[in-house]
Amino acid sequence: MPNKFHNLLFGSIWIALALCLNPVSAQAESRGYVIGWLATASYYTGDVKMGCPDGRNGGVVEMHARELEAIGFDKKEAVELQRKQRDTDAIVPAYRDKVYNRARVNGKEGSVFTYPDFTPDPNVELYSGKYAYGFDLTGTASPSKFEDPETHAPVDNQLWRAMGCINQYRTFPPQKPMLEDTSWDVFVDNAPAWTIQITGDDLSKDGKVTVTFGRATQHLLRDATSGTLRDATYIVDPASKTHEVLEGEIKGGVLTIKPQHIYLEGELPFYMDIELENGHMRINRQSDGKLIGYMGGFTDWKRYAYMSIARPFQDAAAIEGYHALKKMADADPDPSTGQNRKISATFRWEAVPAYLADGNGNIIAAPDDLVQPQTVANNSSR
Amino acid sequence: MNSMRLLSARHATYLAIGIALIGAAISVRALAADTDVSADKPTSMRISSSQYRRTISDIFGSSIVITARFESETRENGLLAIGALNNSVSEDGFERYDEIAKDVAAQVIDKNHRNILIPCKPKSATASDDVCAGKFLSTTGRLLYRRPLKKEEIQTLVGVSKDTADKKKDFYAGISTSLVDLLISPDFLFRYRTLEPDPAHPGRTRLDGYSKATILSSFLWNSNPDDLLLKAAESGSLQTDKGLAKQVDRMITSPEIASGVRAFFSDMLGLDQFDILSKDAKFFPRFTPDAKRDAPEQTLRTIVDHVVNRQGDYRDLFTTRRTFLTRALAALYGVPLVDATDNARPMRWLPYTYPDGDPRAGILSQASFVALYSGAGRTSPTVRGKNFRLNILCQVVPPPPPNIDFSLIQDISNPKFKTVRDRLTAHRTNPTCAGCHRLMDPVGLAFENFDSSGGFRTTENGAPIDTSGEWNGVKFSGPVELTKALHDDPAVTACVARKVFAFASGTMPPTNTAPWKDVQAKFASSNYNFLRLMREIAVSDLLYAVPETRLSALERK
Amino acid sequence: MSKLVDLIGRRRVLKGLLAGGTVSVGLPILDCMLDGNGEAFADTGAPIPVRFATWFWGLGFGEGAWVPKASGTNYELPEQMRALEPIRHKLNLISGNEVFADGHPVATHVTGAQVTLTGRIEDKIKYAGSLDCLVSDVIGNGRRFRSLQVTCSGNPVDSWSARKDGTKLLAETSPLALYTRIFGPDFKDPNAAEFTPDPNVMIEKSALTAVTERRNDLMRQLGAADRAKLDAYFTSVRALENKLQVQLQKPAPMLACVRPGKPPEDDGGVVTLVSDAMARHDLFANLFASALACGQTNVVNLTITEGMSGLRFEGETASHHSLSHEEPIDPTLGYQKKCFEYQKVYMEGLLKFANAMDAIKEGDKTMLDRMLIFAYTDHGAPRLHSLHNYPAITIGSAGGRLKTGMHVPHAGQPITRVSLTVMQAMGVPIASFGTGSNRANSVIAEVAA
Repeated sequence: MPNKFHNLLFGSIWIALALCLNPVSAQAESRGYVIGWLATASYYTGDVKMGCPDGRNGGVVEMHARELEAIGFDKKEAVELQRKQRDTDAIVPAYRDKVYNRARVNGKEGSVFTYPDFTPDPNVELYSGKYAYGFDLTGTASPSKFEDPETHAPVDNQLWRAMGCINQYRTFPPQKPMLEDTSWDVFVDNAPAWTIQITGDDLSKDGKVTVTFGRATQHLLRDATSGTLRDATYIVDPASKTHEVLEGEIKGGVLTIKPQHIYLEGELPFYMDIELENGHMRINRQSDGKLIGYMGGFTDWKRYAYMSIARPFQDAAAIEGYHALKKMADADPDPSTGQNRKISATFRWEAVPAYLADGNGNIIAAPDDLVQPQTVANNSSR
Repeated sequence: MNSMRLLSARHATYLAIGIALIGAAISVRALAADTDVSADKPTSMRISSSQYRRTISDIFGSSIVITARFESETRENGLLAIGALNNSVSEDGFERYDEIAKDVAAQVIDKNHRNILIPCKPKSATASDDVCAGKFLSTTGRLLYRRPLKKEEIQTLVGVSKDTADKKKDFYAGISTSLVDLLISPDFLFRYRTLEPDPAHPGRTRLDGYSKATILSSFLWNSNPDDLLLKAAESGSLQTDKGLAKQVDRMITSPEIASGVRAFFSDMLGLDQFDILSKDAKFFPRFTPDAKRDAPEQTLRTIVDHVVNRQGDYRDLFTTRRTFLTRALAALYGVPLVDATDNARPMRWLPYTYPDGDPRAGILSQASFVALYSGAGRTSPTVRGKNFRLNILCQVVPPPPPNIDFSLIQDISNPKFKTVRDRLTAHRTNPTCAGCHRLMDPVGLAFENFDSSGGFRTTENGAPIDTSGEWNGVKFSGPVELTKALHDDPAVTACVARKVFAFASGTMPPTNTAPWKDVQAKFASSNYNFLRLMREIAVSDLLYAVPETRLSALERK
Repeated sequence: MSKLVDLIGRRRVLKGLLAGGTVSVGLPILDCMLDGNGEAFADTGAPIPVRFATWFWGLGFGEGAWVPKASGTNYELPEQMRALEPIRHKLNLISGNEVFADGHPVATHVTGAQVTLTGRIEDKIKYAGSLDCLVSDVIGNGRRFRSLQVTCSGNPVDSWSARKDGTKLLAETSPLALYTRIFGPDFKDPNAAEFTPDPNVMIEKSALTAVTERRNDLMRQLGAADRAKLDAYFTSVRALENKLQVQLQKPAPMLACVRPGKPPEDDGGVVTLVSDAMARHDLFANLFASALACGQTNVVNLTITEGMSGLRFEGETASHHSLSHEEPIDPTLGYQKKCFEYQKVYMEGLLKFANAMDAIKEGDKTMLDRMLIFAYTDHGAPRLHSLHNYPAITIGSAGGRLKTGMHVPHAGQPITRVSLTVMQAMGVPIASFGTGSNRANSVIAEVAA
C-alpha cells in the first residue's frame, strides 16, 4: 500500500536546515528528488492470458512468423522456418530485406520503418482486460475506459489497450517493458537526471504545494547495490527545456496536480521527450522517503511509436505497436484526415531524495530522508 | 567483534592480571620507549611501497608506471615504519621486486624515454659502451643508493651491462639489466645507517652524512635524498648544526613536505587498512566504491590543509569543521556539495565546512576513523575506542582473556538491550571485562551516532542513542564535547610527537631525556604547529643517535 | 629387475621396455618423487606448474533470484548450479558484480565479457589484452602452446582471447582438429623431450650474480641484527637463482601425461542444438585435461557459444537468447523457467570440465587443485542487457593461492576485482586492473589466501 505524505518516519530537524536553504518563503519546506526509474505504466499479474483471451500474439517467433506470412508464407510454414533459426530473435536472414521492405509507396518498395502507414496492419490482439493505470482525462463515462487498480477510478489509457498484449510490455515493477528497460540501463549512467522539487508550507500536512520538474546537469549516481544513490547533490540545469512548474495539492496524504501540459526532455535511446496534454499526476511518498508517481495525459502517438522504432532491437514489434496505437488513438483529430493524433497514456516513475542546487550553487531543495544532527550550538553550557 | 579473538592458553596470564586488578584502575601500557641500548637491534629499514614509487617518480619522472604489487608491510607498535625495521625480503617479495625492477627498466630504456633518461648516447646502439654505461649507472646509482657508488660497484655493474649488451647486441638491453641490478640491490631496498668516526668526540662514532640525508628525505619527503641533499652530505655540511638546519628548512618549506605529512598520517591512522575494508551494501548503499576510495583521501587532505597550508594547531584536527569532499562522500555523510563538473567527468574535491556545533567536525568523525574501525554491518565502540587509544594516545589496551562468553553482546534481538551501549554495559558487569572495557568503550560510545559506514544516525533498533560519557573526569554529551576535552589532554600532543619520531627513526624516542623534552617544549610553544614538530625532530641529535650512544644522549646536558 | 627399481632407474627401465615409442604409459606421480609438500619433483626441484582455464557461458543466471542469501562457506548453491554440489568446496561463487559503462555505448552481449577480461569498455575492435593472455604471458612460456582456445558453437570468432597488441586468438571448433593439432604427428612425448635453455634466463641469472657477489662486503659493515635481515634477503635471492637454474635444465618428466584417444569425426561446423554443443564440450574438456597434463600448454580457454547463445533444446521453438528476452519471469518462481533449464545444462558441463581436471592425479592432490578455472558470462541479467549482478565462478585453488568453498557477495563492486584476484592468484604481477569505474585496485580479501 502506498504511504502517505504525512507519515514521516524520521524526525528531521528543519529549523537548522531551513537556515541553510535559499528559502522560497521564510516558512516554506523545499524537498528535492531525482527520478531513478521511469517507464510506461504496465499492468500485469503474471497470468499469461490476462487481458488477452485470444492469446494469438505469442512471442518473438510468432511475431517474425507473422512477418513471413506478410510476404506470402503460410502460417505453419512461417513458424517452422523461424523456429529453425540459430538466433530466433531475428527474422530469417534470407527474407530480411523482403520483410523489412514490404511497405509499398506508389507501387515502389519501401522500408516499413520509414513508411509504417504503407505497411499492412499486422492486426495483433489488443488488450481487453479490466485494469490499467491512469487518470480520467475526459470527465465523461465511456466503455473504453479502464479501472485504475489503485484508485479504482475510471481512467483513459488507450495506449495500454494498444500495447498491453504485446509480450514485452507484460511486466510489473521493478521490471519495465523490455526495451524501455534496456535503453534506460544505458541512458541512466549518461543522461542528465530528471529533478523534482516539491515546496509547500508544511509537507507533513494536507495543503497546497508546488511541484517543479527540471533536469540536472549531471547523470544519476548509483549506490552500492546499483540502485539510485540517495542524498547526492545535483545542479538543476538553468538552460534545460524541462522546467515544469505544477500546482499541486496534498489531500489524504496523496499529492495530485492541477491538470496542465507537461514536457520532459529526455535522451536517446530512452525517450527523446515525454509530452502530455491535459497532464495529470499522482504521487505517493513511501515511508523511506522514496516517491512513486503516475503521470498521464494525451501524448502524440506517432512520437511514441517512432521512439519505439528507434530503440535498438525493436523490429517487428515496432510496426505492430504503430498500427495498434494508430487505431487506438483517442484525441486531437487531424482536421483533414480525421485520424486522431494523440492517445491517452500513463507513465510510472520513482524518485529518491536528493539535494538540488541552482545554477549559482545555492541549495534550493534538500532530501527528507536524512537524520540531521542536533547541532550542539553556541547555546551549549561550555 | 574483531577485537575479541579467543587467544591461546598463554594469555591466561592476562586473565590473572585482570582478576587481580578488579576495581583498580588499570593503567594502559604505553607504547614502549626505546631504552634498549643493545647494538643488536636492527637499524636498517626496508623501503616502503610509497617511498619506492616516489623515488622512481623523482628520478625517472611520473610517466614511468609501476603496475606490480609490493610485498606487504607489517605494523608494529601502531606504525608500519617501526615494522619496516624488522621487515626483510621474502622469496615471494624478492620476486616481486625483481618483476617491478624489470618493468621499470624496460620503460626507462624504451624509445620514449631513453633519450631523456640516459643522458649520453652510446657509440653504437648495438654494442656495449662502457663509458656511457658507467656515466648512467653512477649517476643513477647515487640517487638510488643514497650515496655515491664505490669504484668496484660501478665496475661490476658496467661489467654486467657490457655482458648483456654484447650477448644481445643491444646497448640498451645492457643498461636495462644493470639498472635491474641497482633496483634489486639491498642498498636500494634497505636504508642503512653507516657510521664514521666522530671528530668531535674521539673514540666515538656518528652517523655519516649520507645516513643523515637518508633519514631526512624519507621522513620529510617520503622519498630518497635529492641531489642538493646529497651534495650537502658530501660536503660535510650536514654534520654541522647550521648545514643541517638549512637543509631541513629547505625541505620543510618545499611543497614536497606534503608527501611526508601524508605518509606519516596515513601510517599513524592506519589508512592502509582500507584495502581490506568492506561493508554490507544492503545496509549501507551509500558506501559506494567511490566513497570507499575517497574516504582516506578526505582525511589526508583535511590534515594537509590544516597543518601544512594553514599551519594550524595540531589539536584542532579533532575539532576542525573544515574538510574536503567529493559528491560520493557528500552523499554518504548526507551533506550538500555542489560540483559543477561536466557530466560523466571525474568527481572533484571541493572544500566543505560543517556548521558550528555539528558533531561531524574533526577527523575522528570522518569515515577514515568511524568506518575503518567498524565491521561490515554493526559498529563496535570497543574497536573504535581501542584504536583511538592506540593511534591518538599511544596507549595499548591488553588483549582480552580467553574463554569469554560473547552471546550477550552479540545478540541484537534482545529487547532489553537495544543499543550497543546497553549490550556493552551488560558485558561490563563481568568483572574480568570491566577493567579494560572501561578504557575503550566510553570513547567508542561517544561516536555511536556514526554507523558502520560513517553515516549519521540518532537511533539504534528504534531506541535513541546516548553518546554521553566522561573523559579524564570531564563529562561530555557527545563527540563535540569529547573532542573539545581532548584538546586539553597532554597525551594527545605527547603521543603524536613520539609517533613522528618513531616514523622518522623506526624506534620510539627516549622520552625522559632533556633533548626530548626540548622538542616537546618547542612543539608546545609553537602552538602545536606540526611542521615545527617535524623540524625540531629533524634537527635533534636524538634522531641521529648511534645505538650505543643513546645512553650518552640520556646523560648529556 | 628389482635391483633396477630405484627412482631414476624405474623410469629408464620403462622407457627401455617401451623402446622409446610414441606412446608412454601414464604413470602416477609417486609420492616419493615429490618433496615434503608434494609440490615439486624431489630430484630436480622443478615445481609442478599451476595451470589456468577460462570457461565462458552465455546469458548468465538472470535476475537476482539466484543470489544465495548466506555468504561464506555455509551457503546454498543456486538452483541452476546444484550439479556442482560435489565440488562445492573447490569452488567460489562471487555474486553482484558490476560492469560500468562510464558513458560509453554498451555493446550488448559483448561489453560485460570485454570488461571482465580486459578491464576496459571500448569499441570491440579495440579489444586487446585479455586476462588469459596476461596469465599466459607469465606462465605460458616454455610450453609448446602458449595457450589454447576452443568453442562449442562452431564459430571460430566465439573467443574472448586477445593478446596485448590486439591480436585476436580464434577458437578451434572441432575436437578432432584440436586433437590432431596437439596429439597428432607433431606431438613430442614430454617424457623424452629435447631441451635448449632460454638465453634470456641465462642473462638474468648471471646478472643476479652481481648482487650475490656483494654479500660479504655488505655483511662486514653491519651489526648482528641487520646481518640477520640481510641474510634473509640473500636467501630470497638464492631462491630466485634456483628457480632460474631449474629453467636452464631439462624439465622433469610429466608422469601424469596420458595421450588421449582420437575423438570422432566432426567438421567443426555451426551447431544449434544444446546436445550437440555440450557433446563437443565434453570432448574438449578431456582434450584440455590431457594437454595440460602432458605439458603442451598451461593455459586453456573454452566458450560454449558467444554471448547471444543461439542454442536450443530439441523440439524447442526459440533459442536461449530469444527466451532470455521474451520469456516472462514466472511470478511464483521469480525467474524465467525455460532459461533456467539452459543454465542448468551449462553448469552440468562446468562440472564435467572440472571433473576432467580433477581426474588427473598429481601426488596427493589433483590437477584441479593446482589449477584455477575462471567461469564468466556476458550479462548478469541478459533479459535487460543489464550490466549488473554478474555471477563469477572460480574452481580450484591455484595451488593454494586462493581460498575456496565460498559465496562472496560482491554487490556494487566492479567485476574487474574478480579478474584482478584471479590474475594475482596466477602470479601476474599487476596491482590494479581496468580503467575508469571498472578500475580494480584491490583483490577480494575473502578469497585471497
